[in-house]
Parts: sequence; C-alpha cells; structure tokens
Amino acid sequence: MEYILHIIIMIMLYVMLSQSLTLTAGYSGLISLAHAGFYGIGAYTSAILSVNYGFSFLATLPMAMLLSGIIAVFVSVIALRTVDDYFIIITLGIQVVAFSIMNNWMDLTNGPLGIPGIPSISIFGFEFSSKISFLILTLILAALVFYILKNITKSPFGRILIALSEDEIFTQSLGKNVYQAKVVSFTIGAMFAAIPGVLYAHYISYIDPSSFTINESIFILSIVIIGGMRNLWGAAIATAVLVILPEALRFIGMPSNIAANMRQIIYGLVLVIMMFKSNKGFVSKKIVGQGNK
Amino acid sequence: MAQLIINIINTTFILINVSVSFTFIYYSTKFFNLFHATIITISAYFVFLFSIQLNLNLYVSIVLSILLSSLIGILSNAFLFKPLRIRNADPFLIMIASLGLYLVFQNIISLIWGDATKSIRPGEIKIGNEIFGAYITNVQIITIIVILILFLGTILFLNKSNLGKQMRAVSSNNDLSIIFGINSNKVILWSFGLGSALAAVAGILVAFDTDMTPTMGFNLLLYGIVAMIIGGVGSFWGLVGGAFLLATAQNLGAYYFDSKWLDAIAYIILILFLIWKPLGFSGKQLKKIEI
Repeated sequence: MEYILHIIIMIMLYVMLSQSLTLTAGYSGLISLAHAGFYGIGAYTSAILSVNYGFSFLATLPMAMLLSGIIAVFVSVIALRTVDDYFIIITLGIQVVAFSIMNNWMDLTNGPLGIPGIPSISIFGFEFSSKISFLILTLILAALVFYILKNITKSPFGRILIALSEDEIFTQSLGKNVYQAKVVSFTIGAMFAAIPGVLYAHYISYIDPSSFTINESIFILSIVIIGGMRNLWGAAIATAVLVILPEALRFIGMPSNIAANMRQIIYGLVLVIMMFKSNKGFVSKKIVGQGNK
Repeated sequence: MAQLIINIINTTFILINVSVSFTFIYYSTKFFNLFHATIITISAYFVFLFSIQLNLNLYVSIVLSILLSSLIGILSNAFLFKPLRIRNADPFLIMIASLGLYLVFQNIISLIWGDATKSIRPGEIKIGNEIFGAYITNVQIITIIVILILFLGTILFLNKSNLGKQMRAVSSNNDLSIIFGINSNKVILWSFGLGSALAAVAGILVAFDTDMTPTMGFNLLLYGIVAMIIGGVGSFWGLVGGAFLLATAQNLGAYYFDSKWLDAIAYIILILFLIWKPLGFSGKQLKKIEI
C-alpha cells in the first residue's frame, strides 16, 4: 500500500512538472531542456532554507518559486534572442550550468553528497509525515497548478502564446509583444516547476544533484511530447504511463541497474518514434511544428 | 605557464576536431545532430572492445573503430534522419529525434560496458616529454599532429575536390544544387560518413588522453557546438578562433578556480557572446538569431 501511495505521489509530482512544461514547450513552442534545472532550484532552495535556517514550508514554497522565477527571467531574456534549435541548445546550457552549480558549489549545496535531513512539511502545527497526508497535500497543489494552467491557456494571453508558436511574425504584426509573452510563459513554467521540487525535497528528505540531470529534463520533455504538446490532460495521462512503465519492468524481475538503463532507452525510443509521428501525440492530436511553412 | 599554454593548445585542437566534424553534418543538413555525441563515445569503446577485449593489434582496432563509427553515422542518417527530412520535419524536431537516439545508444553503451571509467592507454602512465619546463605527453603530440593534418585536409577537400564543392553547394542552397544535378542525398551521406569518421578520431584521441565514460561524448560535443556558435557558423577560421577562445577560457578557469567549472565556463561564454556579439567572430549571419 505504501508502495502504491509512493507511486501516486511521484506521478503527481511529475504531472506538475510536465504540465508546467506543457505551457512553455507546448503552448508557446519554447522547447526547453532546462526544466529539471528549475525543478532542482526549487528543491535546493527549500532544502537549504529549511535545514540551515529553519524556515517552514509556507515560507520556503513562495521563496523557491520566486527564486526560480527570477532566474528564469534572467536566463530567458537572453535565451529568447534565439529560436528553435539554437534555443534548445541554450536551454541545454542552462541545465548544464544549473547542474554544475548543484554538483560543485560545495559550501552552498554540499555537492554530490547532497543535503540530508530535510524536515517533513508542517503547516500550522500539522505534520505531513505520513504518506496519505502528503499525498493529499500533493493532490491539492497539483489540482491548483492544473487549474491555474488551464485558466492561463484559455485566457487571451494563452491565445497569444498559441498564435506566436504558430506564426511569430504574424502575431507581432497584430501588435502583440511576442518577446514579452515568451519571457512570461517561460517564467511561469519555471516557477511552477519549483513547486514539485520543494515537495520532492521534503518528501524524500534527502536530495542530491543526480535527481536533476539533463536526462531528467529529457524525460519531462518526452512526457510533454507524448501527451500531445498542447494538452494538459494528455500530459497527465502520459506521466502516469511513463512513471508506471519502469516499475512494471522491475516487477517482471529485471535487476534495478539494468531497469534504470532500460527506462532511459524506452524514453529515447519514444522520442524518436514520436518525431516520426510528429503530427500527433499518442494522447492528443496537436503537436508543435505541425502546419508550419 | 608553459604548461598552461600546452594544455590550451591541446584542448584547442581537440575542440577544433569535434567542431569541424559536427559542422560537416550541420553544413549539409542544417540541424543539430546530437547523436554525434554517440559517435565520439562509441569509437573509443570500439577501440576498447577490439584492442583490449579481443586482443587485436592497436592500429588495426583503431582503423576498424573509425570505419564502424562512420558506418553507424551513415546508418543513423539512412534510417532516421533521411526519412525525417523527406517528411519535411522541422530542424528542431529532427534534433529532438537525434537526442532520443543518443539517449538510446548512451544507455546501450552503459549496459554493455558499464558506467565505470575504462582505459585504452597502452602500458603505464608516462610522465611525458619536457619542453620549456612543461610536460607534454606523446598522446598530446600525436593529437596535435593528427588533428592539424585532418583540419588542413578538410579545408583542401572542401575547396578543391569535386565532392567538397558539391557539399558547399548543398549547404548554401539545397534546392538550387538539385537543379544543377547534384545528388544531395549522396552528398549528405558522404558528409555523415566523413563527419562521423572525424568525430571517431576525436573520440579515440581523447580516450587515449583521459580515458572514457559513456557520457564523455556529450560534453565534448557541447563544447564543440559552443565553439562553432561563438566562432560564427559556416566559417572554418572563425571556428578555430572560437575553439581557441573556449579552450583558453576553460584552461584559465581550471587553473585559477577549479576544473569542475568547465561546463559552466563554456556556457557563460556562449551567453556573453549571444548578448554582445550574436553573429560570432566571423560576423556571418547566423540563420536563426533575431528574426
């Protein structure tokens, strides 16, 4: 039972990650490979603040989101001077730098040793230490993120994002500030990616840089692509499938080190196959790039 | 100080080789082939397989490894990138496909040979030859000579040979070159073959110098791409400048701070360039920057 609850919690964390990337990569067409970096920034901010300075969850969550957002504004203002494949390379760079800071800045992040002993979340004296209570908290936050993202994508701003990903110059000619819209979309995505980071840090109670590598970014991106790019429900369903799949590998008796490699091979193959069927995701039918030119 | 200069020269040459090999493919296909990282890695592991595990002669294994790596590059084009091109996929979609393929191969390499560092250095570690109070190993001397020859050969090839001219034609205007009767698929096939062979040389040389891990190719490739972008895409001499600048910054950074910041330094340089000099050294128009 504990095990099933754990899986559901992990699914919920990845749902938040993939849905926030759905806004950035799907709706505004900014394929980002830096998402695990922002996930990590959220986790590390909360871990450092709560372990070293004793801040509570209610304080660390907004601070982690704010920090992630500020960093996102800075990097996206620069990165968004480029588009398409150059932008992907730059986000790859952001991811590499973020990982490098987590892995090497010993004084701040304790490097590869990671930060142990992160306290469990407590709000107004109530400890979310049992799995059930943590799951409820995660569900509430995931629902909140989903609700906000749903509203953003349905708002006029969401339509600007769709328009600019379809035809940037045309959108500009309608008098929309394309550059600003992109920066805002990237920043919102990064801020929401910090939430699962904070939850993950308090849930596992120990973090190290290996949870926030480039492979993690690729994983989140493949969820979004399988989900159908512009489909929040699709992203949720794809998350469930992709998180449960490797667990199934373990059940059929594959040793865990081989299962870890097999897991990534599956993601890689999924990416290749999806690009072949690039006019439709498994879950939905829309994908960025369709109908361009 | 002399040691620093030797290290910078060595790094510069390796970056030039990676960058040129990548540019070969980028030139004719116009997408960032991240699968190229696999070629760099797998060539080193092939040498390990043939020379250590199968006990073949070292030189035979190197030749075999280059040929096999080149073949893998060509096959990746035939079975993945060419069909995608025919479907008229956007370059960045092909790039994501190449990233997926890279992930598959990186994990296959991990499954076969494990994640631990493997070495193909023959014999014991030697101290190297002393010049001006600095040490340069035989491997580094060979690296510099081999890459210098390959680089000059590449420039001669692109400017003088028929196939090289066809490659430049395809790179500057694919449709027009088809009208003039150039078989662009054949040219792209050759550029994958030659680019992969060059990448294999880089991978093997680096592996002799600093051993190998399944992810070694990816970092090298990223440095190569950064060198290409800051050098200005499409200019071989700009690329040399970019490689030199990047190598200098990385070695100085490693000397004054710590070698663990190499990745960060590479990308900070890239970002600085994008702010102040988005067209790179050569000033040639970078297709995708600023619409």
